[in-house]
Amino acid sequence: MALWTLFGLASGKATTAWPRGHGNDGQEGVLGMPRHNPDACREGCEECASICPTHAIERREHGLAIDYGRCVVCQLCTEVCPTGAMEPSSDWAFGVRDREDLIWPEPAARLDRSSAPERTAFRRSLHIRHVDAGSCNGCESELQALNNPFYNLHRLGIFFTASPRFADLLLVTGPVTSAMHDPLKAAYEAMAEPRWVMAVGTCAVSGGISGGNYACGNGLEGVLPVDVYLPGCPPNPAAIMEALLMFLDRMPQRVRRGLIDG
Amino acid sequence: MIGTRIRHLSPGDLRASAEALTGMGGRMQFAYAWTPLGGAPEVRYVSAIPDQNEFDMWIVSGHRELPSLAPILPLIGWYEREMMDLQGLTFTGHPEPYPLIQCVDDAPPVNGNGLNGATSTNGRPHLPDVDAADVQHLPFGPIRADVLESAEFTFLYVGEHIIHYHPRLFFKHRGMETCFEGEDVRHGVIIAERVSAVGSVAHSLAYCEAVECAAACKVPARAKALRVLLAELERLYNHLHYLGHLCHTTTLKVGEAQGKLLEERAKQLNARLTGSRFLRGLLTPGGFRRDLDPGKWLGDALEKLREDYVAYADRLENSESHLDRLITTGLLPERVAFDQGATGPIERASGLDRDLRRDHPYAAYAGLPLSVPILKDGDAYARERVRMAEIEASFVLCQRILLLLEPGPVRVECSPAPSTAGLGWAEGPRGSTFYAVHIGADGRLARVKIKSPSFSNWRAFPLTVHDSNMMDYAINEASFGLTMAGCDR
Amino acid sequence: MASEILMFAAILWVVGAVLALTGMSIASRIALALGAVAGALAAIIGLPGASQAVALPGRILGEIVTFRIDPQGLWLMGFGLVPAGFACALSSPSPHGQRGWLFGAALSLLGALGVFGLQNGAALLIAWETMSLGGAIMILSDDLGRARGRTVLFMLALLEVGAVALTLAVALLGWQASSLLFPAFEAGTVAMPHAMQIGVGILLLVGFGAKLGLLPFYEWFPGAYGAGSGASGAIMSGVVLNAAFFALSRALMNWIPTAADSAFPALAVIVIVVGTFSAILTILYAFQQDDWRRLLSFSSAENASIAVVALGSAMLFHSYALDDLAGLAWTVALLHLAGHALAKGTLFLAADGLRKASGSYHIAYHGAGSHRLFGVGVLIAAMSLAAMPPTAGFVSEWFVFQTVFQGFHLPYLGGRLVLALTGAGLALTAAVAFATFVKVVGLGVLSRDPVRPAPITTSYSATVGVLGLAVLALAVGMPVWLDGLSGAATMQFGAAFASQMHDGVLLVPLSAKFAFISPSLLIIVMPLLALIPITLILASKRYALRRTAVWYGGLAPDPARASTTTLSFSNAMRTFYSFVYRPTADTERDADAGGYFVKKLEFEHDVAPIFGPLLFQPALRLVQESASKLRLLQSGHLNFYLSLIGLLLVLVLGLTLL
Repeated sequence: MALWTLFGLASGKATTAWPRGHGNDGQEGVLGMPRHNPDACREGCEECASICPTHAIERREHGLAIDYGRCVVCQLCTEVCPTGAMEPSSDWAFGVRDREDLIWPEPAARLDRSSAPERTAFRRSLHIRHVDAGSCNGCESELQALNNPFYNLHRLGIFFTASPRFADLLLVTGPVTSAMHDPLKAAYEAMAEPRWVMAVGTCAVSGGISGGNYACGNGLEGVLPVDVYLPGCPPNPAAIMEALLMFLDRMPQRVRRGLIDG
Repeated sequence: MIGTRIRHLSPGDLRASAEALTGMGGRMQFAYAWTPLGGAPEVRYVSAIPDQNEFDMWIVSGHRELPSLAPILPLIGWYEREMMDLQGLTFTGHPEPYPLIQCVDDAPPVNGNGLNGATSTNGRPHLPDVDAADVQHLPFGPIRADVLESAEFTFLYVGEHIIHYHPRLFFKHRGMETCFEGEDVRHGVIIAERVSAVGSVAHSLAYCEAVECAAACKVPARAKALRVLLAELERLYNHLHYLGHLCHTTTLKVGEAQGKLLEERAKQLNARLTGSRFLRGLLTPGGFRRDLDPGKWLGDALEKLREDYVAYADRLENSESHLDRLITTGLLPERVAFDQGATGPIERASGLDRDLRRDHPYAAYAGLPLSVPILKDGDAYARERVRMAEIEASFVLCQRILLLLEPGPVRVECSPAPSTAGLGWAEGPRGSTFYAVHIGADGRLARVKIKSPSFSNWRAFPLTVHDSNMMDYAINEASFGLTMAGCDR
Repeated sequence: MASEILMFAAILWVVGAVLALTGMSIASRIALALGAVAGALAAIIGLPGASQAVALPGRILGEIVTFRIDPQGLWLMGFGLVPAGFACALSSPSPHGQRGWLFGAALSLLGALGVFGLQNGAALLIAWETMSLGGAIMILSDDLGRARGRTVLFMLALLEVGAVALTLAVALLGWQASSLLFPAFEAGTVAMPHAMQIGVGILLLVGFGAKLGLLPFYEWFPGAYGAGSGASGAIMSGVVLNAAFFALSRALMNWIPTAADSAFPALAVIVIVVGTFSAILTILYAFQQDDWRRLLSFSSAENASIAVVALGSAMLFHSYALDDLAGLAWTVALLHLAGHALAKGTLFLAADGLRKASGSYHIAYHGAGSHRLFGVGVLIAAMSLAAMPPTAGFVSEWFVFQTVFQGFHLPYLGGRLVLALTGAGLALTAAVAFATFVKVVGLGVLSRDPVRPAPITTSYSATVGVLGLAVLALAVGMPVWLDGLSGAATMQFGAAFASQMHDGVLLVPLSAKFAFISPSLLIIVMPLLALIPITLILASKRYALRRTAVWYGGLAPDPARASTTTLSFSNAMRTFYSFVYRPTADTERDADAGGYFVKKLEFEHDVAPIFGPLLFQPALRLVQESASKLRLLQSGHLNFYLSLIGLLLVLVLGLTLL
């Protein structure tokens, strides 16, 4: 018989200290959203805007408009940019409360803001019901990773629940396929108030690659009121943790107006 | 088309050809339909013939109504239903003539052909007519407990004993194949990487091979070798996840934690090497988007991972509580595995000796020592052991590539001529992945057909659930290692 | 006065039988129901005393036939006639065969009345057979099940085995007493040898037990009840069952004298053991049934068995001269059957109501919970049969346990051990009974469907509601009701033990030192418990209420198909007790193309009866084989017959010469 318990004890702690202190977030080398350097941008160049598969980059009169909520982190723009105006970066902590904060330099039109209920009672612990509304399984893979010994999400008092009845937060991935539209709404309906919604992954934020085709919607837009947006394709486990802690006011929101730590 | 032998058939020949294919031990791989611009629909059937390096491709053009081959080749059933749903073709004599992709209660159906006149005796045509009042219907899903992909399972059961099981998939159908249409071939790979995240390399590799087949371009040796490295790294993290998840279902808690920790380490290696935990953003038709520098650290890290894995696997092999739950669970007989098109570790655990890497080599596999583990038992334990053997083989292949890797270019220009077509394939962690690519007259993608391994394995899986019991269900499902994203697309 | 009313009831039933035969169904139903009302009224008037003896005209075998019902008979009959009256009024839901059913019901009621009151052995046998025949006619007329002819024959065959045993016992008793009058039995059997007493006792147990559903005879229950209607069940499990128990109790307590102090009370122990095993087996089988009638029939046998255990305990205590405890045990048996008759009648008639609404007796989701009165009636009756407070079944089952717990008063280890083991067996029975009635109510009734409520007619709703509330009333008014039994106990044991079973509104097993309960107080206290949820509701009023559908994974399945079925509820027990049930399950798949495309599924399952294959089938084979052997006698050869005659002549001559 294998002595698993003994092995487990002998192996010691595998969990990272992050986000406390100088712990390892486990994301060495992970590429995040491309970083825009407007000063390097060449007048009249449209390379990045035309290559972007999800039209996250738009050429405007005075430079670019970038919607990080549409970025699938494919890095094509960084490859085609002749001047380094779009640079690869490790900016993956893109969790925000307002959709506008994902747009650089400013949104073309004022977006609707959902009025989130007061969260004072939910600072420490959080129960999440996850709904896969048509993801590519990337977001699920990273969500599942949250409960591996390295990230060990439980230590932060955050749990996934089996039924939406016990959930505070509905975590949605995928562009909301037509078949999942009603079940998703039913899950939201089944939640007790106060309830919040988090869109994880670019698909859930804006539809992603397949958004708006015959089978998909454009993420949660017009489906549910969203309280936290986390684009990424997929957002890595550390990004999801940061966004959850940000939602709980236990970490600051790092992205404002499309700029990280800016 | 490179790698295929093309035969043009008329609808009348189809059944005879299918019988002949069965007679010689060949197996249908997949089938799809496409409509050239301004032309008539064309149905293509791709099959593998024993000891033949090339695939057979039958083309039936210009017919909207074809005889169904499902009574002869059961595995073709879903492909035909998919064509009925999405391309509006008709297959006569189909044993399950109702929608596959579209839910029955969805209105209106995508192609407007509704239920094809099939009447339902019990509310849903998918379920058999049950003549027993005491059999309970247990619908489960599509939103299930835990962080899982969406799918609805219906169990017809009596307490513990499952009498019949029906998975209703395609809740996650995203129309991925249509996303390719009209796109540049360079964009195509971005889409292919996002069909199934845990098969990103297999999908993008098969896609690239298909485009390269259409363009008839030669990929540089270094790119071929790096492709093998990525493909095997993908196999590693998937199989390690599989072991951790299997331990979860057999309630081996420390085993689960250790398996998932090893998976996390593999994913972190991926990120350090490629910038993506899912090995995305590198492959492109013609080679690589940028060169990779594995360096010495990768070999060392892989060796450390291998040592920990071996100790882990030994411990699993000595855990009776784990093995007791696996042995004889979810038996998939060889015959059923063959008829239903089971692929990858699933078919190899049921005694079918097939592996695209060896039988139809691509990338740099032809020159590599490849061991293909085969087991006859067909139970959950055999599926676990096949995957364990594949993990070991992947470690060996990775180290071999790192040893043999020579500097050189990683990319050639690859732009297929207008109105060409290509077939590409890859043996992903879950089995055979095929891409059929048609280039339109504008040089852009006109039609891309994706055949993912889970689409095949989902057909075989329910047949191992009938007449089993609830306690074993989760273990059985985990032992198949299925994904919905790849299947539903 | 009571006797006159009883005669009036008998006349009404005869009139009802005649009316039924002439096809005047409505009038017949009224006559039968009025008869039942009259019978119940007679019981109320007569209790706590006996009814006046009436000499009937005519003689049987040269002896007079008197009619007099003892207090315990009046008690059992009264409670049995309440559901019977409702059953007669509602009649069988069978679309045809009303006439036959009403005639059968009239015969059953008349037979039961005879069994309760006739004081002559031969007359008792006639009444007994009439009762059996009435039951058979009811079931044959119902025609609501498969192979009713076969099942009725099986029932009659087993009942005839009982009748033969009974005839033999009565003949032996009559021979010993030189008379077939019951008072003579009591006096005449004192001289009987001990072994013969036990033998006669066993014959009586077989005879009456065939109808009570003691092992192995309970096996006719599911088939026969399952071929009949709930109305038949209400009569057969009510007044008929009570009559059979009354007859058994009288025979064992009065006709067989108490064994001498030195002798081991073998008969009492046999009765207890048979009762305990019957109770365990019948409730185990009841739990596995998916048909209202079959389940309830097994449950009837279980409750009769519990009463028989109490009777056996009374005999045991009595044989050690512990008359106070004997009186307690004996009274408890009567209490138990009174509550059972009411509760079981409620459920049988509820089954008829559901059958009228849904067309089937299958225990399944029908949306019946939307009828509040119906639901409450069924709930109380099922709670009673599951021994849940504060119902009558709870009181009597509690008393049964209190009685067997008194086993430590017995002077010998054997008796103590028997009662201790009996207690354990009854505990198992009670647990399974609880699960069984959770199943009945949970799957069969507890399903509110605002869209498609089961169309249960008002008459059934009202009947079930009233009968259910009667079960509650019996429990709540128990201190009052117990006084009705004081006469019976006095007659039997010389002291009014029944009135010692309550101390004010507290129910106690003879003394409050040992234990006490009080349903009367509970019924007051229980609504107080409701204050907690009421407070919670009031406290949460300030939050807006939002109702959502039951969470089912995001889709809304049809509740009728997705609800738990009887088999999935009971399959775990079936697997665990597979050595008793020996279950079978068989799936047939109708599929195309190599069996991969399943079109149709057929699933069959069953549990194997114990005595059918192990006892009755071999007996049947034995009879058939010996018949085929004896067929040689009918060879048709003249010489063979002549030689037989010659052989007989030689034998006769030899005998005369000796």
